[in-house]
Amino acid sequence: MFKYIVKKILMMIPMLVLISMIVFFGLQLTGIDPINFMVSPEVLSANKDNVDALRESLGLNDPVIVQYFRWLGNCLKGDFGYSFDGASISSILAVRMPYTLELAGYSLVLSAILGIGIGILSAIRQNGVIDYVGRVLAVLGQAVPQFLLGIVLIQIFAIKLGWFPSGNRVSPDAASPFIDAVQHLFLPVLTLTIGMVAVLMRYTRNTMLDILNSDYIKTARSKGIPEWKVYLKHGFRNAMKPVLVIVVFRIPMLIGGSVVIESVFSYPGIGLTMTNAIVSGDYPVVLVTTLIVAAVMLVCSFMIDVFNALLDPRVRLSE
Amino acid sequence: MSSNALKSGLQAGNKNGSTSLLKKKLRKFLNNKLALFGLVVVIIMTLGCVIGAIAGVDFKTPDIKNLKSAPSSLHIFGTDTIGRDLFSRVIYGGCFSIFIGVFCSVMSSIIGTVLGAISGYFGGKIDKFIIRISEIFQAFPQLVLVMMIVAIVGERGLKNLLVIFVITGWMTTYRMVRNEFLSVKGETYVKVSEAFGMSKSRIMFGQILPNVMSPIIVSTTTNVAFFILQEAALSFIGLGVADSTPTWGNILNAAKSVSVVTNQWWIWVFPGLAITLFVLAINFLGDGLRDVLDAKQQ
Amino acid sequence: MENKDIILDVKNLNTSFISDQKKVDIVKSVSFQLKRGTTLAVVGESGCGKSVTMNSIMRFLGNNAQITSDKIQYNALQGEKVVEYQIGAIKKANGPEMRALRGPELSMIFQDPMSSLNPVYKVGDQVAEGLLQHTKLSKKEARQKVLELFRKLGIPDPESRIDCYPHQFSGGMKQRVVIAIAMICNPELIICDEPTTALDVTIQAQIMELLKGLQVNEGKSIILITHNMGLVAEMADEICVMYMGRVVEFGSLEDLFDRTAHPYTKALLRSVPVLGLADDQQLETIPGITPNPADLKEGCEFANRCPDCSEECRKGKIPAFEISKGHRVRCLQYSNFPEVD
Repeated sequence: MFKYIVKKILMMIPMLVLISMIVFFGLQLTGIDPINFMVSPEVLSANKDNVDALRESLGLNDPVIVQYFRWLGNCLKGDFGYSFDGASISSILAVRMPYTLELAGYSLVLSAILGIGIGILSAIRQNGVIDYVGRVLAVLGQAVPQFLLGIVLIQIFAIKLGWFPSGNRVSPDAASPFIDAVQHLFLPVLTLTIGMVAVLMRYTRNTMLDILNSDYIKTARSKGIPEWKVYLKHGFRNAMKPVLVIVVFRIPMLIGGSVVIESVFSYPGIGLTMTNAIVSGDYPVVLVTTLIVAAVMLVCSFMIDVFNALLDPRVRLSE
Repeated sequence: MSSNALKSGLQAGNKNGSTSLLKKKLRKFLNNKLALFGLVVVIIMTLGCVIGAIAGVDFKTPDIKNLKSAPSSLHIFGTDTIGRDLFSRVIYGGCFSIFIGVFCSVMSSIIGTVLGAISGYFGGKIDKFIIRISEIFQAFPQLVLVMMIVAIVGERGLKNLLVIFVITGWMTTYRMVRNEFLSVKGETYVKVSEAFGMSKSRIMFGQILPNVMSPIIVSTTTNVAFFILQEAALSFIGLGVADSTPTWGNILNAAKSVSVVTNQWWIWVFPGLAITLFVLAINFLGDGLRDVLDAKQQ
Repeated sequence: MENKDIILDVKNLNTSFISDQKKVDIVKSVSFQLKRGTTLAVVGESGCGKSVTMNSIMRFLGNNAQITSDKIQYNALQGEKVVEYQIGAIKKANGPEMRALRGPELSMIFQDPMSSLNPVYKVGDQVAEGLLQHTKLSKKEARQKVLELFRKLGIPDPESRIDCYPHQFSGGMKQRVVIAIAMICNPELIICDEPTTALDVTIQAQIMELLKGLQVNEGKSIILITHNMGLVAEMADEICVMYMGRVVEFGSLEDLFDRTAHPYTKALLRSVPVLGLADDQQLETIPGITPNPADLKEGCEFANRCPDCSEECRKGKIPAFEISKGHRVRCLQYSNFPEVD
């Protein structure tokens, strides 16, 4: 098992390098000259020699491949370079990364609890009230675009009722940081959660129904054990593997979703940073944010493999 | 025995029962009220948008006298921030949104199916190679990938968007088809076809593919909704199709401004409803098709 | 006969399923008695309702099943005292009363050992689970009991096998584990639902030997669902033949094989190869097809396929007649014998 995990981790490294190369060289193709962003055009034409010296000192005259490895080396040291407006990307990330992690993390946990919980209940009481309500919500949750849901929630809770702020993450005059956080996180987390719950609930329900029809559930009942044990110990324990895989699988959706949702709520996380960077052509920032997202994705697929192995003796023991 | 005779021999069993089975499936589908509702809504909305566009509704010319006007007899959905008629824009935008959805979904299904078939049937190096590629694509959330490519291409045209969606959307179909091929490959009828010297492509697409058609049809249907939502999200944050080409998504782009959200509800409610209704209908249709086509549930 | 000798008494059991808002009767007025310490074989072709009958008794059917009965009585022998359980009157299928019976009194062995075991738990834990539920034994004591039983059931090297997962077992070994699950609480009545269909022939014989041994040595009562007439001849004391949800013939092994009465049973016996039976006998098929239970007409269900069918057979309800003691036949050819319910 240990060997299996190590092997999986080692396999992630070439993937990461490959992805960083794709992103780096891809952005080279855009032909954006960083100098144009750093120095105003008048200065540029007036001090041609100085600019060339600057170019040389920044290493922009080196072959692309050299630039790539220098950049990669710096990244590994935690130095992600500078954005076009001169801010250190590392310090931008240090502020904004936690915000996105908060948003995505709370949404993931909340939607997993709600989605799996409701899914199990609707499978146990098939065609009951919870099942019916859940199905209607699932259908709606999948049909309404997430950003539209965000807008509707802003309209209702922020503008009409004034219960929550319509955007941002911190208020300058907040009395308690905790209440401030809850207030700012509530609407975006709710928006992200509703979409996720819809998918998870449906999937958990169907998986549970399949499993509750299987023979070993009958075997479990034939032992005379209480129903909750039949459902949880024998039913859910087997449903857990596919369901957890789906939860982890949904993380890309969650990240994609939070990019949009951060835009809707002007929530200053990585997603908004990335969107703004793309719109303004700030490619060092695009490069780093994309790479971070890709790294998160790789970690997720690694987690899927490990979960699979941990939960399924057939996989666990074969390695 | 020629391969033709063999093929008809292999399929004879299916053919006899197929007409009554088709009827049975059709009846099952018609009995599913939600699926029928979905089908009807999809047809009506698509026809409405196409007919409206052909009839040449004016979606461009601003009505300077009526900026941001609420729904009235003159503009039944009201006008947007620069006075363009919203009803025409929703109709015209529908054409583009539905086109984007259908085109991308069909194209990415085709690519996914072909690659999946090759990967699953041949296995070995070529399979490993295609899997690696799909894993790399999968390492980016699609939206992020699209954003990155938009940044590289640096242009927000409809053509670019279509290409990007197709390139980034084939992986799910690919994996599904590949798995199916892997499991069907070992079945006797495939071995028999091979033994009779049927060509590889005929075995792949003539013999194995029909077994995978149902899930492909279902996922192609529901992907239409997925791509429409994807386009809307991208256009909403300002990275989708340029504003000169209306889609349901970039009409909603106006709702990024809090003042529009607060004061001009019609600007975001109508296109929002259009997307929601269409996506809902597609999902119902997809579920209905799944129920009818999924052999396991019969 | 006294309660002491009858372990299971089923009277007029009816089971129907609701599907697409239509009610389909699958089991129709089934009655039988099982004598303590004997084996009853329930035979009939696929879909005749034999499994549904047993699942109705064990209450394993889903919510779409409606079960009614005059009586499903299980008589437990506790010392010299007989305790009667009215299974038919228990309301909740998976409630505490039913659960108290499953394991220590009644248990069931299922058809497919491959899917009857939970893939994520060790086999030993799966066997011990029932024991821990119904007794106050510690985990360690339960483990000892499981080891003992594994040894008895001929699972080699039980000390190491007990900690294996189902996928590490072969089909025959898995079925032994399934039997262990059924046996661990020492039940009096074991229902075996085609216990060997999924296994290959040599393993079949071993498993049947095992079951026969249990019945003979420990006085267990067994209901064996099967369509293998060879097994029936070898195992059964009494036989219950079912067709389209009804018991068409019931009697002792000799009654059924030597004095076969019902046309369906005759056809059934002619259609299966049975070792030791008339050498020159030709194998035959039963003409016609099994009708769809959803659109049955009145009269005898077998009428359309029966060589001896008369006008009377297609009318009304066909009662059962007792042609000799304990030998009941549901066929109008025997209407001169006394009617029984």
